[in-house]
Amino acid sequence: MTSKNGILLPQKSKITRRDTLKGLGVVAAGLAAGPGFVRYAQAQSSAPIKIGFQAHRTGIGAAYGRWYERTTAAAAKAINDAGGINGRQIEIVTEDDGTDPKRGAEVVEKFANQHKVDVVYGTLFSHVVVGSAPAAGELKMPYYVVSEGYHVASGKMNRYCFQPGITDVRAQTRAVGPFIANNVGKKVTMLYPDYAFGFDHRDYFPANFEANGGKVVGMVPIPPTETSFTRYFPQIPADTDVIYHVMVGPAVLTFVKELGEFYGSGGPKLFGFIDSLEAVDITSPGLEFLDGSYFWEGMPRYLQPDASDAVKAYRTAVGINENGAAVGDPKDVSTAAHMFGCWETLYVIKQAMEAAGYQGPQDRAKLVEATEALTDFPEGPEHPQGAKTFNGKIHQVFGSQYISQLKNGKLNVVHKTSIEDGMYEPEADYTTQPL
Amino acid sequence: MAGRGRGIRRSAVAAATLFAGTSAALAHAGDRGFVLLLPTGYYIIGGALAVAVSFAVLALLPASALARAAGWRGRLTGPLPDSRTIVSLASFAVVCCLLYAGFAGSRDPLSNPLPLVFWTVWWIGLTLAVGLFGNLWRWLDPWYGPWRLVSGMLPRGAPLALPAPLGWWPAVALFLGFAWFELVDLAPEDPQRLATVLGLYWLANFAGMLLFGHAEWTRRVECFSVFFGLVSRLSPLGRGRDGSLDLALPGARAAGQEPLPLSATFFLLLALAAVSFDGLSRTFVWLSLLGINPLEFPGRSAVLAPNTAGLIAAFAALAGVFFACVWLGCRLAGMGGDLVRAAGLFVWSLLPIALAYHFAHYLTALVINGQYGLAAISDPLSRGWNLFGTAGYHVLAGATAGHESAWVIWNLQAAAIVAGHVLGVAIAHVQALRLTGEERRAAVAEFPLAALMVGYTVLGLWLLSTPTGY
Repeated sequence: MTSKNGILLPQKSKITRRDTLKGLGVVAAGLAAGPGFVRYAQAQSSAPIKIGFQAHRTGIGAAYGRWYERTTAAAAKAINDAGGINGRQIEIVTEDDGTDPKRGAEVVEKFANQHKVDVVYGTLFSHVVVGSAPAAGELKMPYYVVSEGYHVASGKMNRYCFQPGITDVRAQTRAVGPFIANNVGKKVTMLYPDYAFGFDHRDYFPANFEANGGKVVGMVPIPPTETSFTRYFPQIPADTDVIYHVMVGPAVLTFVKELGEFYGSGGPKLFGFIDSLEAVDITSPGLEFLDGSYFWEGMPRYLQPDASDAVKAYRTAVGINENGAAVGDPKDVSTAAHMFGCWETLYVIKQAMEAAGYQGPQDRAKLVEATEALTDFPEGPEHPQGAKTFNGKIHQVFGSQYISQLKNGKLNVVHKTSIEDGMYEPEADYTTQPL
Repeated sequence: MAGRGRGIRRSAVAAATLFAGTSAALAHAGDRGFVLLLPTGYYIIGGALAVAVSFAVLALLPASALARAAGWRGRLTGPLPDSRTIVSLASFAVVCCLLYAGFAGSRDPLSNPLPLVFWTVWWIGLTLAVGLFGNLWRWLDPWYGPWRLVSGMLPRGAPLALPAPLGWWPAVALFLGFAWFELVDLAPEDPQRLATVLGLYWLANFAGMLLFGHAEWTRRVECFSVFFGLVSRLSPLGRGRDGSLDLALPGARAAGQEPLPLSATFFLLLALAAVSFDGLSRTFVWLSLLGINPLEFPGRSAVLAPNTAGLIAAFAALAGVFFACVWLGCRLAGMGGDLVRAAGLFVWSLLPIALAYHFAHYLTALVINGQYGLAAISDPLSRGWNLFGTAGYHVLAGATAGHESAWVIWNLQAAAIVAGHVLGVAIAHVQALRLTGEERRAAVAEFPLAALMVGYTVLGLWLLSTPTGY
């Protein structure tokens, strides 16, 4: 629903799957009512648009999956309340992929052949995206992921795979470089897990940072199986101004605690990616050493004093409080830095379907071309995280990043990067591939 | 189409392997991260000491006094009316509804009631309830009522008899299949897949009951009847000889049991091994052993073969160590005797350990998925219904999140593990007396098993506190 001032105003603070379904129940009842069914079967124009949601409901991604599901339900409700897409309601069909690439591919097939969805959407974990994209390409199924991996922009996926609702890790690491060089410190030592996730940071951060006068003085890769870190800290050069850390996994809290014990009250400044502590209460015991440190956030977890009405409406719709935790369940901290991508991706699908005059699966190629033709997403109710630029050749969106400082138990935004800060030279062109 | 499907899956896995280098995994700190900050090492030492000291204290006490205490029964009611048929028919009706929901309801395993009721309410919850309140499964068994109805229409009783040499091995085989499905199969929570498997399981067992009789079939073949029958021996509540409800000390019924046959001994060992392997298979240690980066666990499809082997290896290892301890105990006590009988007596002592680990291992899943289940049963077919008024229930995922919850959960887990092992030591003590018939030799015979229990306490607490990949 859109109010007079153009802001989405959800009616309820907590959206459940059922709320989405209630609306659909009306559609389903119509479908079952004989004459209506015949009409839909003939024209399909009033039947719901089916969006296959490839969800991490079980497996390693389940904690993220819960919030992706809540955000998806909230966005679907908001879209349906405002009239749906091309006058048709949308129906979210959820399939669990077990956060497993093989099942991911099976789920895409099931969406295409069994559920006959119009598009597939919502995948987060990179290996599932990489495992599912070939199936989507082969079945000519538009596949909109919310993964933040560089794999889409790299050109290694295919014409049917898009990432229009969240920036990729390459852009994120590039974008924070100037701020660190100009405001935090010139000499950076990077501590990162010694595998692909860490390599993205190792490979993509230095260029823009050093172009802005900074210098990476140390690289400390840490084996992913490590659970105690103190013996790595002596490798951090003494002249380091800033420690750039991107540790992930269950041992992150131990990492922070040991770093605090190593440096005591002094030491270099800290810059981290909130990925490390996504869905974790930042005021937890053991994290005191992070006070004063800086974090990248895809979207602020804590409600900022200058938050726009669009941001407030989004947060209310998804059901998070001023601390970024579930309304009514303050210990259930959301994955705020990533889940907005679900909301925005669904609105991109809406925009592209409307641009393509999408009627049904026969229009999937038109939908792909219409998505590729998108260029700008203005900040607002549909894109509360901020304005974005879409590159149709590499199927990747670019946007602002937030840098927040942890003070008094809250992450306060101190800088919002420009979209250009994260831009890099495209290395692919999907539009040359046949449809 | 099928051929094309296989092609797509193959290319998907190949692509996932090829492009693994572009990955941006998001393994998050999660609840185990908070457990890592707790002084779990002290708990492990303390737990091991508590179990060791329990053994020492029991060794000094006369086992006969313990045996007498275990034999105590307090009669709570008169004979209870036998309404098994009615309850079972109602249970069967619920099963049918759930199976229908599995096929026709939501595709989301956290919205469809079948996986939530089966895995969370039934497998996790009912097992605990049976351990606490007695064999509720005897009533809820969804075969008994239909079997009574159908077999009543047949001219005579069961036409066939189960061959005695089969022992309980069919139940061992079925339970191994179940454990594999739960721990290794690609999608045990997929509603349709689960409905298919459970539907076939019900039909096959129903046919078996018609052919061989319900009593024999549930005693030696249908693995959940066997499992719940064993677990119920831990409960303070039980059925007296005349069908009345009586009270006993926790675990006392297990301590008073006759030796289990060899096949049933293996059944119990398998039950404990399976839940232990579920814990082990998620640890950094196991994943590293497989050469998998625990921070980017690639999904079950990547570990089908090694986890199948691991499950069997865990079973074999536990059985090997257990029999070695029993053999050594008999040797130390100067008993030649019957190893199978000794093992059949001592294996009862593993029962409380299996139940304690079941509780500790599944506690968070019970709390979270139980809430999803509450919401799902009100709208089983995802049609916007609200049968029980819980359809809009907002799952409080914070119940297990954060530092405080981690502390509470860890303490509950540690308490359960230690209590389970102490009870195990006590049961072993009574059974050792039965085996040896003499106080001093009983303590000696039990000694290696007590050492195993100290070791298993350490293992159990370690599994619950070590870093896990997922």
